[in-house]
Amino acid sequence: MWSFFSSVKLTIAALVLIVLVFIAATFLPPDDVVQTFAHQFSPGAAEIILFFHLSDLYHSPLFYLLMTLLSLNLIICSINRFPALWRQYKAPHFPEPADSFDNLPQSLIVTEAKEVSKIKLIVKSCLEKKYRSSEEVDTEIGSIFYAEKGRFSLFDVCIVHLSILVMIAGAIIGSIFGLEANINIKEGESVNIATLAKGDGIQQLNFSVRCDKFIVEFYEDGTPKTYRSDLSFIKNGQVQRRGTLLVNHPLTFDKIRFYQSSFGAAPEIKATVTYTVAGKKSGSLALAAGDTFDLPDSKARGVVLRVEENFMQMGPAIKLRIISQKKDIQFWVFQQLDNLLAMKPDLLKEMPIFNPGLFTPFVFSIDRVEQTYYTGLHLVRDPGIPLVALGGLLMIVGLIIVFFISYQQFWVRVEKEGAKIRISIAGRSNRNDQQIQKRIDSLCRQINEEMKT
Amino acid sequence: MSHTMILSWVTFIYFISFVLYLFRLITGKEFWGRAASFLAWGGLSAQAIAMIIRWRTSYSLGIGHIPLANLYESMVFFAWTIMLIYLIIEWRTKSKIIGVFVVPIAFLAMAYASIAPGIDNRIEPLIPALQSNWLTSHVITCFMGYAAFAIAFGYGLIYLLKNLDKDKTEKPAGFLEKLPALATLDTLIYQSIALGFVFLTIGIMTGSIWAHYAWGSYWSWDPKETWSLITWLIYAIILHARHVRGWRGKRMAIFALIGFACVLFTYLGVNYLPGLHSYLRT
Repeated sequence: MWSFFSSVKLTIAALVLIVLVFIAATFLPPDDVVQTFAHQFSPGAAEIILFFHLSDLYHSPLFYLLMTLLSLNLIICSINRFPALWRQYKAPHFPEPADSFDNLPQSLIVTEAKEVSKIKLIVKSCLEKKYRSSEEVDTEIGSIFYAEKGRFSLFDVCIVHLSILVMIAGAIIGSIFGLEANINIKEGESVNIATLAKGDGIQQLNFSVRCDKFIVEFYEDGTPKTYRSDLSFIKNGQVQRRGTLLVNHPLTFDKIRFYQSSFGAAPEIKATVTYTVAGKKSGSLALAAGDTFDLPDSKARGVVLRVEENFMQMGPAIKLRIISQKKDIQFWVFQQLDNLLAMKPDLLKEMPIFNPGLFTPFVFSIDRVEQTYYTGLHLVRDPGIPLVALGGLLMIVGLIIVFFISYQQFWVRVEKEGAKIRISIAGRSNRNDQQIQKRIDSLCRQINEEMKT
Repeated sequence: MSHTMILSWVTFIYFISFVLYLFRLITGKEFWGRAASFLAWGGLSAQAIAMIIRWRTSYSLGIGHIPLANLYESMVFFAWTIMLIYLIIEWRTKSKIIGVFVVPIAFLAMAYASIAPGIDNRIEPLIPALQSNWLTSHVITCFMGYAAFAIAFGYGLIYLLKNLDKDKTEKPAGFLEKLPALATLDTLIYQSIALGFVFLTIGIMTGSIWAHYAWGSYWSWDPKETWSLITWLIYAIILHARHVRGWRGKRMAIFALIGFACVLFTYLGVNYLPGLHSYLRT
């Protein structure tokens, strides 16, 4: 069992199968298409498709099984490898590997001019200049110095594999404890219930979100330029935060991130209506067809019967019905009444129903009539994100170590040979790189130069 | 001169440069190689200037953005990164031979960008989803990766071509003799794949961070995401096979070809599948 999970063959097999699942998943049509197709032609096929989750392979038991196999494989391979790596990491630097000075790339310097102790000092300082620290032992033939670089790169592959496990863990945490939901809010309204993205469930929020304004802007050629929602977050009856939500600029409130994901035209159009009584202008009311409002001091009630963006080519208009104890009248209010009167001065005589002051003493007017929008927000809470980000960072670090850093070890032997002193330099690297010879040569040059001065 | 005019000239220059690299390979005369490199560097600089002009023009149109936002712009940038990485390798290795196999890829990308039906070379404004600082880093890292894989593909082709000749007993004929040694090619394939792999990894991650800000999820199983992951896994399999199983030579060369086919599908083929990366659809 253990050997099954630790084999490289399993890794390759799992990776190849995952690749095949991905290829299939990108070519299979989406859920609804598959299901209608299967139901029309054969119920058996539909069952197979449902059983294997073919229309959503990324969330199918098959895919989960493969990911589990791959994760176990990674964990067990890492556990298997680790003791050997640790031994290598902790390995004593002396004695040098057998035959180091015979088989490895090496350079020799033979000199007569100086004392052994002086040469030892030079070697030591050269090594420390290049590799920060050095070690020294004395053997019967002479002294051997050691220096190294990049020992942590022994763990490079472990770091990369760990990073994948960390990311998978983050993804699992996100899918179990995360929240993904959608809300549509009409301009001016507030909502505290979100529809879950998966399934039909709903999520009650402990605050509500109000859409103060939704704006869509276009470039001259008609391409959309901006989708913008002005939102207010209301908790305990108070606006705790206002913010502008744009695509690429999410807002966060109460650990939930809000994204601008869609928008649409609400079915109704709204008119901004004001009225004047005895020269005093009222505040503006935003009204859609079917809305009612009360008129102060006259026990009258208004009902909006119609809101039109362009009524009979005469511009924006609304039709009102005002009910009081004495009267029940209906009339139209035009936004551009002044223009209409300029063209046709006796319009109101001919059509009294076009008179916005028909219910005295109130005179109504419209500031604007506009399409109302709803904004589509995407809500996300994903506690797995820190882990996924950490995994990503580890992977980059790991890959850079794998490809660009190696564990390089150098041994320098200083020995007396009759009247001469022989300096031999050997080195090795955990990767098959050509750099090691260059480094030995450069070390050799440096020692030479130091000895001249 | 408008930038599109310069880019047409650059396409032509790359073609001539390719022809000169071919002359050098056949005749073995160093003069042709120097001329080819000279033209290639010239083309690269002219193309950089054209891209900068296009960038500035977009600002004067009031829709300023880096020219990496649609299929045309990405294709031009792809050609540029291929030439850049190739010329750096040529300068480092002092070998002009693979120019014959790599420069035509850049030429084809440029030609495809200008003549393929449905590729629009107009400067278009950025839609809201693309208005992000991550656009630049995501596109640049991805295309550096793609370009490195394109170069590995070039080396793979040379390897297989040279390998055809290996079993013959008589002395290799003509230009095959002049190609680099198989072992050198193998190392170059590996190095290009490793470079591409690091860039692709960073490209996927920057894309993922961007998606986190734009779509609300770092991973949405959009076909382009999935295909970039497929490409990543295929190169991961190649690297594992090399490190653990010791795959060398012909197998690496063949996989370099398969991997690049995957890159091309991720770049171009996926646009015909439904998904979120529809900015590139023509």
